[in-house]
Amino acid sequence: MDVLREVWDFLSTAILRGGMYSLMAVGLALVFGVMNIANFAHGEFYMLGAFFGYFILNATNKLGLPVFVPPVICILGAGLGVALIAGIIERTSFRALRKRSRGQWLMNTFLLTLGISIILQNGARVLFGGRYRGVSRMWKGESLNQLFQIGLPPDRLIGFLIAVVSIGGFVLFLNKTSTGRAIRAVSQDEVGASLVGVNLGFIHTLVFSLSGLLAGIAGASLLSVTPASAFMGTMPLYKSWFVLILVGMGSIGGSIAGGLILGVLESFAITYLTQYLGSGSSEIICLTVIITILLIKPNGIFGKAVKSAVE
Amino acid sequence: MSADYSSGAPGAAVSVGDNVPGVPGGRRVPDVGNNDSGGGRTFAAPARHPVWRAAGLLGFSPLGVVVVIVCLPLLMLVDNEYWIKTLTTALMYGALAMAFDFTSGYIGIVNFGFAAFMGLGAYVTGCLCWHLGWSPWQGLVPAVFAAAVLGLLLGLLTIRLGGIFAACMTWFAAMAMLSATSNWVSLTRGATGLTIPLLFKSAANFPYLVTMLVMALVSYLVLSLFVRSKAGLAFQAIGQDQEAASISGVDSNYYKVMNFTISCAFAGFVGWFCAHYVGVLTPQVLHTRATVEIMVISYIGGRGSLWGGLVAALIIIPTMEQVKSIQALSEIMELRLLLYGLLMILVMIYYPGGLSELFKTVVRRVGLGGWAVAYKK
Repeated sequence: MDVLREVWDFLSTAILRGGMYSLMAVGLALVFGVMNIANFAHGEFYMLGAFFGYFILNATNKLGLPVFVPPVICILGAGLGVALIAGIIERTSFRALRKRSRGQWLMNTFLLTLGISIILQNGARVLFGGRYRGVSRMWKGESLNQLFQIGLPPDRLIGFLIAVVSIGGFVLFLNKTSTGRAIRAVSQDEVGASLVGVNLGFIHTLVFSLSGLLAGIAGASLLSVTPASAFMGTMPLYKSWFVLILVGMGSIGGSIAGGLILGVLESFAITYLTQYLGSGSSEIICLTVIITILLIKPNGIFGKAVKSAVE
Repeated sequence: MSADYSSGAPGAAVSVGDNVPGVPGGRRVPDVGNNDSGGGRTFAAPARHPVWRAAGLLGFSPLGVVVVIVCLPLLMLVDNEYWIKTLTTALMYGALAMAFDFTSGYIGIVNFGFAAFMGLGAYVTGCLCWHLGWSPWQGLVPAVFAAAVLGLLLGLLTIRLGGIFAACMTWFAAMAMLSATSNWVSLTRGATGLTIPLLFKSAANFPYLVTMLVMALVSYLVLSLFVRSKAGLAFQAIGQDQEAASISGVDSNYYKVMNFTISCAFAGFVGWFCAHYVGVLTPQVLHTRATVEIMVISYIGGRGSLWGGLVAALIIIPTMEQVKSIQALSEIMELRLLLYGLLMILVMIYYPGGLSELFKTVVRRVGLGGWAVAYKK
């Protein structure tokens, strides 16, 4: 029984973590694939999502709505709020950069997003202070309590379901709507897309907002697992870049799989290796794996050749 | 960017008359004479005097020599401990920014784990002093060596990937190192930090300033020697167009790894000083935040100029210190970082050339173009 229990713990941790990594990585892959931006402020969208989520949840909890309503409002509101901020950032900075940039676009965007990330992190620190703001439990309700007995914290499980629904909706949007088709067209060929009448400026803003939306949803739905604080974005950012490098840049399907792979890797390191290697083991395992994979397949597991930053 | 200036270098010996447009038979020199600036005087470029030649071989333009000769005594005259400390820190960041620019400005690879290499140098000397009782000076060679070896290994593994891959891989390696130093408590004492013997016995800060100044100059001299050598030409070729460079027979992987190793070695060099200057070493020195700070300074200084980072550090670090000391703002610790972020965004969007580009433009407008070009064989 003990072995079964251990394997169950291992698998459930892997999948529940992996879902969130996928959700983060998909947004990053989208922005990279469509706009060719190496977004290092993606973790800050997650952070903003968590803060929005916290404040919205606190406000709605006071209204005395049914138990399931406040978290839903909180997650949707956080996603939309972050999407709005991402859209504003795209309009003000990347648009200006695109007008002026001559060559080395990818590297310039990388540095620009770093600047944005510094500002968002420290701005949040100034505005919200240094303390952690979290909730002990997001989804309350009697029926959920049984989940604890099989070792599944309800918040994590529902977080995973939210990730699945968001990613599913997003993939449907990309494949079934005309706007989604326009986005895919832009990612294949900007000039061609604009020739057939796609509004490039609109698509760029929309794509950046969408990636912010996904990151915001991730941040808000994990509020009870990782409390909101100004510098919380580094880890999700690191993980989502890890996924992108692992599977190859800019591939949406690949990043969904990659998130789950990373979840398995980490869960494996935590369950089986921490006792031998100490608490830093998961990072070292991940680094070893990624170096091995890149030695065999330099463009990632599912990757095709990517335009390098040296243009 | 520096290529078109050095192509005008022979023109450094050309006198004014030759530059005047429209003079029949007058040789048009591509860019040293400011034919297009309209108005304004053009000063003669300095003659090929042995002094300028020697300076040029070391990587200094005539104007640079003048600036260094004027500024060095000024630095020596500072007798306020606070300012000496600030200047030392600024020089430290300047040296790091130069080493960073050596990679990012020439071969176009951003070493996003730069602080980890500096931290490695610091931790190597720190551990040797703490566990084996070595003296600070004995730790210098192992520190530089360790950073260089790690740079070489990581370079071999990741640099051939190029671009954003290399940036991410160096970052992952830095995160793993940060995690290792935080968790390997028996070796590094984790977050408690190592206490490290100081470089000098006296409490005065002046010896540190002199040491750091020498180290910064040595860094500049060595790096600029590399940049002006055949390898430097290869670096620039790779940075401008890697495929074209490969087709022309430049072994891009070899030169990229070489460049990366040298840059990391200098990071370790400065890390050694940092450890023995600060005296306490915590894993925070390896943090991405430190890398970002160095990056911002380097990019504000201007890519592919080397000296730009040093000048930017000498301007930015003291300014930030002043900002910090303003009473009303002292509450906001993050203000410094906010300013860094803002500067980064503004420079990236509106003036990607940075300070060195600004300097070149101003100098050309004033008509001192020839003075800003170092002599080259």
